[in-house]
Amino acid sequence: MSTEESTAGRGEARPGGGYDVPRGGRSNFEVWSWVFMRVSGVILIFLSVYHLVWWNLVVGVEHLDSELVIDRWANPLYRLLNIALLTFAMLHGLNGARYSIEDYVRKPGLQLAVKGVVYTIVIGSLIFGIFALLTFDPSILTNR
Amino acid sequence: MAKEYRSRSLGTALRYKGREGMWTWMLHRATGLGVLLFLIIHVIETGLIVISPEFYDEALLLYKNPFFRIAELLIFFSVLFHAANGLRIVVQDFWPAVMRRQRQLVWAATAVVVIAMIPVTWMMVAPLFGWADEPGTGRHLERCRSATTAPACVLEGSAEAEAL
Repeated sequence: MSTEESTAGRGEARPGGGYDVPRGGRSNFEVWSWVFMRVSGVILIFLSVYHLVWWNLVVGVEHLDSELVIDRWANPLYRLLNIALLTFAMLHGLNGARYSIEDYVRKPGLQLAVKGVVYTIVIGSLIFGIFALLTFDPSILTNR
Repeated sequence: MAKEYRSRSLGTALRYKGREGMWTWMLHRATGLGVLLFLIIHVIETGLIVISPEFYDEALLLYKNPFFRIAELLIFFSVLFHAANGLRIVVQDFWPAVMRRQRQLVWAATAVVVIAMIPVTWMMVAPLFGWADEPGTGRHLERCRSATTAPACVLEGSAEAEAL
């Protein structure tokens, strides 16, 4: 360890224009985010390709309606599968968006503002989606 | 606090000749952000079903517009490319020896996407020109024989009635 390294803080700009890799001993957040991207990515290949093939090719968007979705969601296992797809996709996407924001929005104040807006939209729609799947009542079909 | 913020212009970025690795990196980002954008819209529109199924059926009309077919194809391509290229990255991460064959792996992943997109493009585009039925038409007609009041069947019925 050189003295130069010890004076550099987390994520400080180097004179050459690059950024030091944060090496705080406090948390392994970036390592876990790397692991999460690989694990969720592989799971999402199966979940998303299945979702696309079923709804876009087998059912067909042209023939889609609320009754088909309600029929499908009447099975709690499908709702659970949808919660998994939704949660993995949103968190994988949120972390991916974070990579892009940290790469392209370098001013700390602006970066915080952009992150605030993007995190709010993504987490807000994730919560709404989970809420919809959890509060879904299959009897709305028969009550009509 | 860091004082220096260096960023490069898009022109500089595009003149960088990183070949396959660079182009797939850029496409991976673009397709990922595109899918995330659609995902947000899609989750909000689907979540509407618990508030009002009728409103959900109205919202679906946006997807049934022929112009949306282009977006549907783009979403298909984005998900498939992000999946195949992402799998390539995972394989390279856990099996570094194949890094020597990165270029070939890029072309293999691209080939998988292109080959999968051929039938998908046909299924999406052919119905617009009347060369083939919409995906799922057989299944749909079967369903409408028993569930005639289903919104998609009612809609179809009125369109057919108009044509007659």
